[in-house]
Amino acid sequence: MRFMIRLSLMCLFGVGLWACEEEFIPEISTDPSEIVVEGYIESGEFGLPPYVLLTRSLPFFSTISFGDLDDLFVHDAVITIDDGEGIATLEELCWADLDSMEQVFVSSILGQSGLLDIDTIPGNFCVYFDQQNQMRGQVGRTYDLRIEVEDKVLTATTTIPEPVPVDILAFVTPAGTPPDTLVEMRGFFMDPPEVKNFYRYFTSVNLGRFIPGFNSVANDNFFDGQVFEFPIPKGEERNTDVDPDEFGLFTVGDTITLKWTSIDEEHFNFWNTLEFNSINQGPFSTYTRVESNVNGGLGVWGGYSALYYTVRAER
Amino acid sequence: MIQTGRLFCLYFLLSWLASPLLAQQSFTVSGYIKDKDSGETLIGANVYNVDRASQGTTSNVYGFYSLSLPAGQYKLNFSYLGYTSEEREILLDQNIRLNIDLIEGVTIEEVIVTAEEKDENVSGTDMGTIDLPVENIKLLPVLFGEVDILKSLQLLPGVLSASEGNAGFYVRGGGPDQNLVLLDEAVVYNSGHMLGFFSVFNADAIKNTTLIKGGMPAYYGGRLSSVVDIQMNEGNNQRFGVKGGVGLIASRLTVEGPIVKNRSSFIVSGRRTYAFDLAQPFLNSTSFAGTNYYFYDLNAKVNYRFSDRDRVYLSAYFGRDVLNYVSNERGFSFRLPYGNATATLRWNHLFSDKLFMNVSAIYNDYDFSFGGEQREFTVNVFSGVRDYNTKIDFDYYANPRHHIQFGINYTYHRLTPNIAQATSNDVEFSNDLEPKYAHEAAIYIQDDFKINDRLSINAGLRYSYFMQVGPYTSPIDGVRYELGDPVIDYHGLEPRISGKFSLDETSSLKAGVTINNQYLHLVSNSSSTLPTDVWVPSSELVRPQRGIQYALGYFRNFADDLYETSVEVYYKDLRNQIDYGETYVNDVTVDVENEFVFGDGRSYGIELFIKKRRGDFNGWIGYTLARTDRQFPDISNGKRFPATYDRTHDLSVVANYKLNPKWQFGAVLVYGTGNTFTPIKSLYFIENNLNVEYGERNSARIQPYHRLDLSATLTPKPNSQRNFKSSWTFSIYNIYNRRNPFFIYYFTEVDQQELRARSTAYKISLFPIIPSVTWNFTWQQKEKGR
Repeated sequence: MRFMIRLSLMCLFGVGLWACEEEFIPEISTDPSEIVVEGYIESGEFGLPPYVLLTRSLPFFSTISFGDLDDLFVHDAVITIDDGEGIATLEELCWADLDSMEQVFVSSILGQSGLLDIDTIPGNFCVYFDQQNQMRGQVGRTYDLRIEVEDKVLTATTTIPEPVPVDILAFVTPAGTPPDTLVEMRGFFMDPPEVKNFYRYFTSVNLGRFIPGFNSVANDNFFDGQVFEFPIPKGEERNTDVDPDEFGLFTVGDTITLKWTSIDEEHFNFWNTLEFNSINQGPFSTYTRVESNVNGGLGVWGGYSALYYTVRAER
Repeated sequence: MIQTGRLFCLYFLLSWLASPLLAQQSFTVSGYIKDKDSGETLIGANVYNVDRASQGTTSNVYGFYSLSLPAGQYKLNFSYLGYTSEEREILLDQNIRLNIDLIEGVTIEEVIVTAEEKDENVSGTDMGTIDLPVENIKLLPVLFGEVDILKSLQLLPGVLSASEGNAGFYVRGGGPDQNLVLLDEAVVYNSGHMLGFFSVFNADAIKNTTLIKGGMPAYYGGRLSSVVDIQMNEGNNQRFGVKGGVGLIASRLTVEGPIVKNRSSFIVSGRRTYAFDLAQPFLNSTSFAGTNYYFYDLNAKVNYRFSDRDRVYLSAYFGRDVLNYVSNERGFSFRLPYGNATATLRWNHLFSDKLFMNVSAIYNDYDFSFGGEQREFTVNVFSGVRDYNTKIDFDYYANPRHHIQFGINYTYHRLTPNIAQATSNDVEFSNDLEPKYAHEAAIYIQDDFKINDRLSINAGLRYSYFMQVGPYTSPIDGVRYELGDPVIDYHGLEPRISGKFSLDETSSLKAGVTINNQYLHLVSNSSSTLPTDVWVPSSELVRPQRGIQYALGYFRNFADDLYETSVEVYYKDLRNQIDYGETYVNDVTVDVENEFVFGDGRSYGIELFIKKRRGDFNGWIGYTLARTDRQFPDISNGKRFPATYDRTHDLSVVANYKLNPKWQFGAVLVYGTGNTFTPIKSLYFIENNLNVEYGERNSARIQPYHRLDLSATLTPKPNSQRNFKSSWTFSIYNIYNRRNPFFIYYFTEVDQQELRARSTAYKISLFPIIPSVTWNFTWQQKEKGR
């Protein structure tokens, strides 16, 4: 993001040469913290049981270590999901309460989703999830989430739309003059005509964490019903300084897994505003408020209709 | 509304019945007031009866004046700031044509002669109106040595700079789209180069700039806040001349001269930047070879005087910003050209000594485009505005008490939203948007009525009409409108009235009410306007903006008009204001009118102004205390919030000092309350990353803005009789290197290795101390006989 802001200054003003950057401490807001929901339900063979992370928003801080985030997680919530046919109750599971075998088991389940990395788990990591396996994400269903906590009720609704496959994945030599160890991934794709479609994708390298693309979401306003080829840039960790010459490219020989999902409009709006907000600050854009689909809190309750494709990057 | 119409009819009826001079035998003295040396007409020059200063008038934008007086002997004074006044004794027993040539330059003795001159500041009915001859602007210190008309206007009370070093401006709490910027009557839809850091007006091609920030006359319309009316030079009709300048980032060249001496002249003026051109040899050895940025302006004007009664002008402007970006490393490139083109054809005709007519045909076009490509993928985006405009305006100098102006105008608009097209191999994509079309028309009448020596009233009525026409597909009900089919129409009466009451010879009270409608809108998501911002018409979704301004002022001059002072208070009520919703995402596939939210605004303030008009040491101090806020149901839960244009305190001090004919100095000091911004409220984790939740809109402020600029102009041989002269202007911008905040941003990171999260707020400041030097020259053909 900093790179983007500096680049835009340099490029467009030509006056970046003179610009000067100073750190400052903003006034700390005294507003009470809000409850943040991050919950997903996914259909498909690799879909996890539905789960919800319940955390608090924090006042502005400079640096905070994970160990100091004891109060981050919100406990003792009553969380239910209603899919129209039944109601599933989620149970809270805290990392510290598990024995080491359970920790390895949970990490292996949640690690792939990108949620959890066993090496970086803070002191107290808690998740509400469907331990009884009462409910699985199914295409076409609507899921109402209800959270009762600390005398508040939070609600959210999401749906799992029809999946739309990527027909062919291929690798091509990137344009320009990048190192010959790098390749660009291409997808060939047919968007279903006359339906509004919303997509989000992630990539994983060598069975690592799934990382969303830099612009991970798209709607089909521009390509409704078309058949076309498009580049799929590698997901990059946010806030890391990436070499612009290598940005989005894959290394030859790596095993790439593409997680290609269809989502509903509200779910799309959340990621779309969140990603726009994080890269568009400064003189060219005032703030963008993240559009949450949670009533009574921040965050997202998202349904994914996911398809997974694993290929080897080759020239 | 009907009542207002009736009231105005009544006013016109009564004012005519009440006019006692109708019964008397009166004659008219009229003509053009010009610069003797160049033949350029002078705008806003004063003409008055020395024995009775209330009998007077000013020249219009074509330099024409007309004064009707009862038969008799008069001593008339003709004056224009910076010129030697002329006095003429006339025997008015018939209509007289009297063209006056004034000589540039004033000596001390002549100042004494003009001591009884009543300044227009106190005597006129207009409020919030300031004329800035370009010669005054050229002495001020400037950024990178580029003289900039719009930035000079920001030094006046009530006018704010959009952001650091930016030519964009806000007037009395109004948005940037609420300023009507006219170049020879053509609307300039984007007045900035290089993201607004320079205005498109090359000072060498400009004669005069008039700013109207309150009490907009009925002659003007279509915008709520202000008018900046800029006239281009006509060209010297006596001698050929060349002038120009070489600066740090741009150079200028102007050629002018007679086509037929005394009858016809031309001027052509150009300006271009070259900083990136100079860098090309260095860029060519990098992977960015082919990257370039430049902007240029071309102004041209010719005029021909067929007779004393008929004169034709043709003027044109063409300017472009061009950015080419090439990244050979990634095989990626884009082109980003944008700019304005205008053309104005005008015919001045004198039906009689009392009735002046101007007919104009105007074309203007603002185009923005972006084209990018990477191998088999291309993307193109276009937007813009194109107008065809005709108007007829009359000046009727009925008698010394009434100066009536009336006219009619019509514009056909074509507004292109962001039309995006892309290709992937042979597959083509489009966002299926199309240009929007509209008719806009207005009819107006206004009367500047001197009731007696103390009391004058300027009353005007404007009726405006706007109709959006097809091709268009309704976003509400999906109805398809074909070419020319009416989609929706809006209209409104826009009455204006202002009055002046003279307390004594040197002071007056003025008050006014102005109502305006605005049918075209531009909403920006940035701290100032960008070339990518799109003008949109009123439509089924977007209603016209409407503004009512109330103003009251006390004007007083001291020491024989050496000092001019004023206090003005205003209150503005703004309806149907437009903004983007809080969750707005710039998505080129969506028509922006679907992203708008609507609300109301208000703005009020007090402006103090003191100006020393003449002498080796002159200048002004302007101070504004103001507040402007907005209320939108969809922003900050409907709570009133300070507008982006809200600045509590705004101070400008401008001084010029002529040490001797060789050296002149200028200084500018500005201070302004810090801009509003939307602060961060909290941070939260999603997908292991930190995200930012914002507080209420514009509920915080960055630090105050202030800086001091100095300039020195050296004319090595000021008294040289040679036809080539040159001067050096040295400028230092921000002399004490104040780090004024330009914007702030937040950076968050989660370090998985170190098991910690970090968030940081950064403040960017743009311009440190910046010295510059510009060399200016003029060459003039020798006068015959010398």
